[in-house]
Amino acid sequence: MQSSTRPTRRSRKAFAATAGIAALALTLTACGSSDDGDDAADGGDSDAPVTLTIATFNDFGYTQDLLDAYTEEHPNVTIKHTIAATSDDAKANFTTKLAAGGAGLADIQAVDIDWMPIVQQYEDLFTDLSDPSLDGRWLDWKTTQGSSNDGSKLLGYGTDIGPEAICYRQDLFEAAGLPSDPDGVAELLGGADATWDKYFEVGKDFVSKSDGVAWFDSAEGVYQAMVGQIEEPYENASDGTAKDLASNTDIKDLFTTVATMSKDEGLAAPNQQWSDDWNKAFQNDGFATMACPAWMTGSIETNSGGVDGWNIANVFPGGGGNWGGSFLVVPASGAHTQAAKDFAAWLTAPEQQTAAFNNSGNFPSQVEAEASEEVTSATNDFFNDAPVGKIYTDRAAAVTVTPFKGPNYFSINSAVTNALVAYDVQGKGSIESNWDDAVKAYEALGIG
Amino acid sequence: MSVQTHALPPTGLGERDPRPPRRVGFSQRLGRWDVKLSPYLYISPFFLLFAVTGLFPLLYTAWVSVHDWSLIGGQGDMVGLENYTAVLQQEEFWLSLRNTFAIFLISSVPQVVMAIFLAALLAQNIRAKTFWRMGVLLPYVVAPVAVGMIFGQLFADQYGLINAILNAVGLPSVGWHSSTFAAWSAIATMVNFRWTGYNTLIFLAAMQAVPSELYEAAVLDGAGRVRQFFSVTVPQIRSTIIFVIITSTIGGLQIFDEPRVFDVKGVGGPTHQWETTTLYLYNVGWGPQMNLGRASAVAWMLFLVIVAIGLLNFLITRRISSTADQRAQTRKERRAYKDAVRRLRMPLAAREADPGSVAATITADRATSGTSAEDESPRRTS
Amino acid sequence: MSSIPVIANTAGPGAARAARRRASQSFGSTQRRPRWVTYTILGIVLLISVFPLYFTLMLGSSTQTEISQSIVPQWFPDLSIFDRFGDIITSGAFNFPKALLNSIIISTVAAASTVLFSTMAGYAFAKLRFRGRRALLVFVIATTAVPTQLGVIPLYIVMAKVGWIDTIQAVLLPVLVSAFGVFWMTQYLENALPYELIEAARVDGASMFRTFWSIALPAARPAAAMLALFTFVQQWTNFFWPSIVLSQDNATLPVIVKLLQGNYHTDYSLVMAGVFLTTVPLLIVFAFTGRQLVAGIMQGAVKG
Repeated sequence: MQSSTRPTRRSRKAFAATAGIAALALTLTACGSSDDGDDAADGGDSDAPVTLTIATFNDFGYTQDLLDAYTEEHPNVTIKHTIAATSDDAKANFTTKLAAGGAGLADIQAVDIDWMPIVQQYEDLFTDLSDPSLDGRWLDWKTTQGSSNDGSKLLGYGTDIGPEAICYRQDLFEAAGLPSDPDGVAELLGGADATWDKYFEVGKDFVSKSDGVAWFDSAEGVYQAMVGQIEEPYENASDGTAKDLASNTDIKDLFTTVATMSKDEGLAAPNQQWSDDWNKAFQNDGFATMACPAWMTGSIETNSGGVDGWNIANVFPGGGGNWGGSFLVVPASGAHTQAAKDFAAWLTAPEQQTAAFNNSGNFPSQVEAEASEEVTSATNDFFNDAPVGKIYTDRAAAVTVTPFKGPNYFSINSAVTNALVAYDVQGKGSIESNWDDAVKAYEALGIG
Repeated sequence: MSVQTHALPPTGLGERDPRPPRRVGFSQRLGRWDVKLSPYLYISPFFLLFAVTGLFPLLYTAWVSVHDWSLIGGQGDMVGLENYTAVLQQEEFWLSLRNTFAIFLISSVPQVVMAIFLAALLAQNIRAKTFWRMGVLLPYVVAPVAVGMIFGQLFADQYGLINAILNAVGLPSVGWHSSTFAAWSAIATMVNFRWTGYNTLIFLAAMQAVPSELYEAAVLDGAGRVRQFFSVTVPQIRSTIIFVIITSTIGGLQIFDEPRVFDVKGVGGPTHQWETTTLYLYNVGWGPQMNLGRASAVAWMLFLVIVAIGLLNFLITRRISSTADQRAQTRKERRAYKDAVRRLRMPLAAREADPGSVAATITADRATSGTSAEDESPRRTS
Repeated sequence: MSSIPVIANTAGPGAARAARRRASQSFGSTQRRPRWVTYTILGIVLLISVFPLYFTLMLGSSTQTEISQSIVPQWFPDLSIFDRFGDIITSGAFNFPKALLNSIIISTVAAASTVLFSTMAGYAFAKLRFRGRRALLVFVIATTAVPTQLGVIPLYIVMAKVGWIDTIQAVLLPVLVSAFGVFWMTQYLENALPYELIEAARVDGASMFRTFWSIALPAARPAAAMLALFTFVQQWTNFFWPSIVLSQDNATLPVIVKLLQGNYHTDYSLVMAGVFLTTVPLLIVFAFTGRQLVAGIMQGAVKG
């Protein structure tokens, strides 16, 4: 399981059931708009029987009902949907099959933002999905993420995004004598001008007033959020080359700050993100806040069953931030790339992604979907009825930076986060010595 | 010879199915072809299937290892041994070898010793034999994926059962994932859990086959249980010990599943504390680097290391157990032991006194000795 | 024992004497029963063997929340685990019955074919002379030292070429033979099959195949039983290759267990129930055949 991949989402049952039907009705009426126009371009293909395979992972919210809506519109199409349990499994599958020349790949493959660099690096293996009629469908930064590095091709249709807010335990805030209502917390952290400095200041105050509860869940979580706000963290966007880590002062400063705050100031719970201990810390009052992309709410809910103090503050230090989100890509080796493209366009239309949001909670990346009544009015009862629709729409709008992730992003990022975990969780060496280890690990990659 | 070999009618082989009269010349020629060809026929299904599923991947890996080869981008330039030298310069590679050997040693050694010991207990005339035997094999039926999940719960650093037990008896928690040695031990525990019972049964089968005359003779000479074990059992199951050591060396040096599931990231720990060499090659090939060329080079180097260690192992074990054999014969029970051996082996005089093992035939060139059973037998079978 | 005259005929009176002795007094029965120390040690070992499986039952009977809250949520399993079994069996996310069937087919065919081909090759390596024998045997053993992870890509290419992706043949083909099996059978037959028997059969004019069929094969039975058990279990628990070449509609049981594990919040209660559920068929096979297998291993193995 990679740290920076996407989660499963458990549907919010009762709500999903009714909303699903509503969404279905919506999709049935709406699918003409984006799709039927393409049939002309298809020529005679549109009536020939076609079987399309689509491979996703976790839960994209693509229920059978949703898929059936498409086949009813297009009786010649049969859809086969395969789902991998984790994005890690899905990625292993994806890369192995690409490595073997593309045999066995689905006509449509869901790809996490974390492995989009692979698609970008081997863009010729994928179909160019550019389509002027879809201009403006997605948030601009989402389109950038899904495009080829030079911006000339659209390689993936965005499905969902992971705009980040701050999830927090209002009961623990209360016990520490801090404001505990969402607006109060947002303000406490600086509101629209929230900074990480402020976040850490409040954290120190919180830790001093509470009994052994850490401020945030893990050093990695905060580092992940902060590095996601840097334009070109490890590589040069112009040519994709790696920046020398030893002289990368932005990253070194970031590393030093997070390490100091996490360990020396004792703000982080001493757990590696996603570990069993991390999971269990939710039940043991291990920490009070965490950087919280939309999809994380599901993880928190499952991990904290029975703990009812969670809430979400509509605020994020350092402006907006995005963590995760996926795309649908069409491998060029497929037999029906045009039909697959049409279907992928349909699936990522605002109506379908709204339905998917209702089914699984994945927050849509489509401008129109985010503005829809259904999304903006959504609340989450586990988080004390927090207006998640509104919060995440605001948080998505606040995202201003799309970090450049080239082919070596994850190698370098692992080198740094490994050193961070070594210092914070394992208590190994000093901040300096661990930074040196990170640089050494970077140099071993032989990409500088 | 096993009980099953006797499952023939008492009248003997030939009479059961009298041959039809044949022309002598033809049948002789046929017989000769039969003798010459049939060994190849017997091994051919294995080698045919193996060529596709074992040999092809092996050669392909060798081919890949001398190229620039990206997992997805595929074949690049031929680079000779560059991938090998690059890997040898990586600190991570050497760390992975260290981890592999450490985990191998703290799993295999106790495992083999434990398995022999348990097999000796089970070989006694205990009550409810089958129950106990099946009991020790039980962990083997649990899938490694599942073993990883279960032990993940047990070995969690903060909220794990094992640390809770340690705390309950007044000991401090162990950082199973932060201390390198503790991580090795935890992984070795998973390995031992699953494989000890398996090896126990292999040893047990061999022990059951030790002729009871040897024990009777030893008892007559006043040897106690421990003495019997070291003077009779161990030398007699020597070839099995070698077999188990070779197979567990090969398996132990390729350990992958357990370290991979030991934490959520599955790459062997943030500072490579438990990154074994197979895990390293997986990380190089499938990780963000996607460098299949280097991964193949790692695979081939690991392959050579394993073969070297396997040979070394074999030579050491052979020496140790043959000294044990000798010691048995120089001690007090020497005569009784030898008598028993002679009594038993006389009828099978064609066979050499040494209970030959496959392993022994691998490297020891017995052809020169001229007395080895396998060199004589073909003459007699033909 | 009716077999003893045969030995007298084929291997000489001495061998018959030895066999008779062995038949009349097996090793164990001449010994006195061991004391309680033995049982205590075995009891502890058994406890360690059983505990993790028991632990899965316990966790499978608890809810995810209970598991997070307490290290040992409950000491005794309860019936609620059956609800989770039901969820897994009827889940629409994968096809459990098909996976069960696939696992049975793959494990059974792999065991049968591995045993047959390993016995044939083992017999040839142990008892027949032919050019290249030693070199080939070394080669077989050496190949078991090749790390399997890298074989996946070439293997996948082969399977894609013949159009076997997502079929159980693709899982079966690589496991029809095993180098370990050949090593194992060679090792066993070398010790367990006297040349006298082969020679006698040959003198009587039995063909090479006849000799193999009626002499070697029966002699190999105890080792074959063990090899069959090991192969069956190994294929039943095999994960990596099936997870790549099969889809979740046409999976094997370990692939399904992995499917239960989510990325970011694993419902351990469901996973543990799944682990137990997929292990149960093996336990049943074990319970029914274990006695014969284990007993067979013990009587049969006799070496010179």
